[in-house]
Amino acid sequence: MRRGFIAWSKAELPESVFAARLARLREAMAPHGLDALVVYTNNTRTAAVSWLTAFVPYWAEGLLVVPLVGDPLLTMAFSNRIVGWGKGVSCVARFEGGARPGQAAGKYLVELGARHVGVADLDNLRAAVASDLAEAAPAAALKDATALFDSVRQQPDPAEIALAAKAGAIAQRALALATGSETRLGDAVAAVDNAARLLGAEEIYMAAAPDLDRDHRFLRPEGVVTPGKSFALRATVAYKGTWIRMTRTLGRAPEPTADAAAQFAAAVARLPSLDGFREFPAWSIEGCRLAQPLDVFAAPAMSAPRPIAPGSLVTAQAVIAVDGKRIALAAPVLVGAQEFPSSVLVAPIFA
Amino acid sequence: MLAQDRRNRLRAAMNEAGIEALVVYGNSWQSDYLRYVADFSSLEGHGMAVVAPDGSVELFVDSVAEAERAEAETSGITVSLAPEIAREVASRLERVANHRIAAAPLGFMPKFIADAARGYQLEDGTTLVDRLLMVKMPAEIDALRQAAKLADDGYEVFKEAARPGRRQYELIADIEGFFRKKGCADNFMIMGSGGKDVFAMAPPSARVIKAGDMVTTELTPAVHGYFAQICRTMVLGKASDAQKRAHALYREAMEAGIATAKPGVTAAAVARAENDVFRKHGLGEYATSKYTRVRGHGLGLFVDTKPHILEDVDTVLEAGMTMIIHPNTYHPEVGYMVLGDTIVITATGAEVLTGMPREIFEV
Repeated sequence: MRRGFIAWSKAELPESVFAARLARLREAMAPHGLDALVVYTNNTRTAAVSWLTAFVPYWAEGLLVVPLVGDPLLTMAFSNRIVGWGKGVSCVARFEGGARPGQAAGKYLVELGARHVGVADLDNLRAAVASDLAEAAPAAALKDATALFDSVRQQPDPAEIALAAKAGAIAQRALALATGSETRLGDAVAAVDNAARLLGAEEIYMAAAPDLDRDHRFLRPEGVVTPGKSFALRATVAYKGTWIRMTRTLGRAPEPTADAAAQFAAAVARLPSLDGFREFPAWSIEGCRLAQPLDVFAAPAMSAPRPIAPGSLVTAQAVIAVDGKRIALAAPVLVGAQEFPSSVLVAPIFA
Repeated sequence: MLAQDRRNRLRAAMNEAGIEALVVYGNSWQSDYLRYVADFSSLEGHGMAVVAPDGSVELFVDSVAEAERAEAETSGITVSLAPEIAREVASRLERVANHRIAAAPLGFMPKFIADAARGYQLEDGTTLVDRLLMVKMPAEIDALRQAAKLADDGYEVFKEAARPGRRQYELIADIEGFFRKKGCADNFMIMGSGGKDVFAMAPPSARVIKAGDMVTTELTPAVHGYFAQICRTMVLGKASDAQKRAHALYREAMEAGIATAKPGVTAAAVARAENDVFRKHGLGEYATSKYTRVRGHGLGLFVDTKPHILEDVDTVLEAGMTMIIHPNTYHPEVGYMVLGDTIVITATGAEVLTGMPREIFEV
């Protein structure tokens, strides 16, 4: 569920940012002979459309049609009563509400005369929406444009890097409020959740490893949970469409924690090489490439990691053992490019 | 225990329908089918589960964080990190292609899985699972009962939080902090503040709450995945005579709906009972889709589940169904107003689970 603060911040995301992103996308579309590109959005798979329009769905699904030439259309499964809200929190030339976004998008494709249409993440497009789209635009040949979109999306602009830093700063400040002496995990989780929202987070998902000595896996705390001597909190924070994760370990002595942080920084510095992370008991690298805000790029359970683009934004997570004690860490990372090494965007320090 | 009871009930329903395998889909908005089958509510990305002909359950998620969480939170199922989830689930279904396979909800399946070119055939299993989701076992109703209590307590926090000068999203921060402190993992809420300019509740914004504002919300906390909802309206200051008159009408409509809800009655009859009150007062237009969506809806593992309380929904109510009755709509004199209580259909009528007084609160 979502319950966060949804708004288009024109100061942080001026119209020129979206215009530049659309121009980059269209530049990539042209060589493929695409007349239009269609991008799906819903409560879970928000990132592609929010990157192009600032719009973040709260519950409904929709489609964005980006013509090679002409106005983009965002059509959401909204009643007319909610369309005004949608228009107020998005930056798109045309915003419409209607029961069936697939039909509305198809109708617009016909109006555009689009015959070659790319669809980002076509495999995962909801079948009923895909069927409506194909039915409403029978002359349009739909083809998968995942790789095309991915190639454009993984290059962050300064605005996105700033938003990731802001999200990281919110997480850092909120996580600093946990003390480690809480006798109920809910008290620590509540303090962080509340603080992040007051700081303007669009969303925060809290997870915890309640007793690191027993299990380093993160779960969503429910009911009354008594934390172990050492536990970890993970804040997954969204800020204006940009998502990051930060993790804080509590109840460990300063020395091993500093050692783990140094090991984490060293592994981060070697990205996009994964060699530094492979030494850790648990780790993952996530980033945004399509519609999912944090898509997995690499993790031990993946047989074939996805390529991590130089200059991209990712979130790195690791559990590091120091003298037999587990310490969990996560932070947003700007992957190095050219002569610049990779480094954390916001340090996992919570004092 | 509850998870196993759900799976047993599902297996029985599948056997009765001759369905040998089932694939279900869930995401952070709607995870009820997935939770029923795999005891896992999705938060990020896609989640899908396959019930194999031997009764085993495999959960596929495309988020690495979700894969780890599922392994930590579930038992008795297999969890797979599936970055290319549609292809990986389709591949799994190919292995049982010679069996009768149902999908629920069929329309939510990713295109790749639903594609007719696959080597299996999917039947629509939505109705089969919907019936299980709607008619609840006693343990499921107990969870809803706890969630309803939490909704009541949450509304008290909301009343305290709503003060002039605060922004809408700051109220949400207070509510969410309260729910996390209580160990409540999930909640859905929308709200409104203002006057006649407000035509609906929406996600929280930076709008500043002002003295005299009418503030509406629906809170929907979950316990063990089961959501209960409460809708109430307050005024920051003294309610006007018009606001009090309007609220009395909404209360009459809600109570008419609750009084009608019992086994053997259709959802349409409940909606009609609510809407007749508006029509009686010459406000029938405001009970139409121009101003409102539904007059209530089912509650359970999803916040907006079946049956929808509308005059064209002929679902017959049965004991064990849980829902909210809320005649929420725009009122031409005062703006958008809400009032709703969670109920469970019993053998003889409806039991109201939320306990907050049905007042227009003045704070």
